[in-house]
Amino acid sequence: MRARALALSILSSAAVLTVGWQLGTQGQTSTAPDAAAPTTADSVTSDPTATATSRGGSTPSAAATPAPAPTATNGSVSAAAAASDGASGTFTGTSVQTRFGAVQVQVTVANGSITDVTALQLTDKDQRSVSISNRAAPVLRQEVLAAQSANVQGVSGATYTSDAYLSSLQSALDQAGL
Amino acid sequence: MVDPVDRTRRIRARRRMRAADAMVALVWSSVAAAVALWLGYGGLNTVSNLGTALTAAGIVTGLVGTDLILVMLVLAARIPAIDRVVGQDTAMAFHRRLGKPALYLILAHGALLTVGYAMADGSNVVTETISLFQGPDMALAYLGLGLLIAVVVTSVVAVRRRFSYEAWHLIHLLSYAAVLVALPHQLSAGGVLADGSVQRVYWIGLYVLAFGAIAVFRFAVPALRSARHGIRVAGVEQVAPGVVSIHLTGRDLDRLQTAGGQYAIWRFWTGSTWWHAHPISFSAVPTASSARLTVRDLGSGSAAISRVRPGTRVSIEGPYGVFTEAHRVAPKLAVVAAGIGITPIRSMLEHSTLRPGEATVLLRGSDPSQSYLWNEVGTLRSMRGNAIFSMLGPRPHGLATWMSVEALAHGVTIGTVFPDLLNSDLYVCGPQSWADLVIRDARAAGLPEDQIHVERFDW
Repeated sequence: MRARALALSILSSAAVLTVGWQLGTQGQTSTAPDAAAPTTADSVTSDPTATATSRGGSTPSAAATPAPAPTATNGSVSAAAAASDGASGTFTGTSVQTRFGAVQVQVTVANGSITDVTALQLTDKDQRSVSISNRAAPVLRQEVLAAQSANVQGVSGATYTSDAYLSSLQSALDQAGL
Repeated sequence: MVDPVDRTRRIRARRRMRAADAMVALVWSSVAAAVALWLGYGGLNTVSNLGTALTAAGIVTGLVGTDLILVMLVLAARIPAIDRVVGQDTAMAFHRRLGKPALYLILAHGALLTVGYAMADGSNVVTETISLFQGPDMALAYLGLGLLIAVVVTSVVAVRRRFSYEAWHLIHLLSYAAVLVALPHQLSAGGVLADGSVQRVYWIGLYVLAFGAIAVFRFAVPALRSARHGIRVAGVEQVAPGVVSIHLTGRDLDRLQTAGGQYAIWRFWTGSTWWHAHPISFSAVPTASSARLTVRDLGSGSAAISRVRPGTRVSIEGPYGVFTEAHRVAPKLAVVAAGIGITPIRSMLEHSTLRPGEATVLLRGSDPSQSYLWNEVGTLRSMRGNAIFSMLGPRPHGLATWMSVEALAHGVTIGTVFPDLLNSDLYVCGPQSWADLVIRDARAAGLPEDQIHVERFDW
């Protein structure tokens, strides 16, 4: 290869790689997919929990760190956890990291019984994970509502999603005192 | 004393160099872009331990390997711009060099991802392979890998010799299938190319570009051109034992803008020859209504086309080739032709504008039966005032030389035949191993690479 071709190749390749790298690191911090962002200065202060793997935009924020994030989402926190027996309110479980992405669920409790489970986030690393998640989530929700606990069988073929789902659920139930 | 012809040549050569350098840079940038797709996806952040590092390496090797295969398709698409700048044979030499690295990258892609996933799952490689195989579009992906292995293995020189050209070519066409069946798993299982991403748009664009180039330049343009010119065989004339000139007629053949020294890929529509396209040089510059090819029956296919009847329909792909006057860079011209290699040499000289004393031509044959078309070279208008030498006789046994026994005995060298060699463009055409020896001597005499022009008759 001639020297000029080599120099040109190195220069343009380096430029392409830099752009890719920049986009990669930017995507990690600047995407604020939460539509109902309460604070205005949200995008400037880089809060550590908002690290999101931006892609497709199919799922909301993905906490890349397994740090417990029972922070307020949409303002409906576990405020009403008053009485010991008849706990009521919405409780957000910890975000559980898996190979295929983070899983986090929110549980709605009324008078000490589980009335709903919402998946805030499911394994979504690739299309395959997304389809597995979409299949597993309704099954898990039904099982949990029926059993009224996190002690249910996982969905076969969705072991990662199931385990993470139930472990996030358990942490939410712990908050609710159930 | 800056000669205007010389100046134009230099400018053209510089322009070609720039274009060639840009093409090389484009290829490497596409490799960088494949890595950048992964970087832009945030791939670096997924790496945290050995397992995820292997997985990441697996993704990157897959992207780069596929990119190289698409580059190979583009190189094989016979795009006129590439042919004009570097020549299709140089492009194909590069294509061949990319084959094995591309396969190794794709194999590494499969192996690294399997091991990486197995480590993350805490399972073993066999279990992981089975579970991968059950993923969406993965059976197709493994099929693509199998096809790719078949294509590359049959193209390794030692193996390729065992196959006829047709069988090899048929297997080689499977590479299109291999690349296509690999696409679904890239789009569905790959996180980097997820739905709605810029990466996906770029990647599909690459596929469209590669397959589009093949569809246009290897199928659409040749079909249209063949229909437009309506080429038929006018007659077949034997010019020497086993050597025939095929005279063709057609409409507006001058509009093909064939440069002397070029070739085209011809298909003769008879029952026994239609399935095989032959690259054959023009032995004369086409006129508006006629063209002439000269061919030696080297293989069974060439033997069959020497028997085609007048009126046979002929389709054309081309013209191609950089063995033309337009690619000259030096003020003088040195030409060596042997055997059937005379064909492009004759039309190149016919098409050249030469001043007296500018060219020296050496015609080489092992016996007088190989002196066909030689007298035509002598009567070319451009050859007036230019020297033509002939060298007849077999090469000595056990000595690597391109000259005859007699010439060697008289102390002839490339330097004595072409006293002004270093100031010349050297055009060489003849059997491969013979031509290589001419080039060896020219290089040894100090002739720069860009002054060496060689037309190879090999597949």
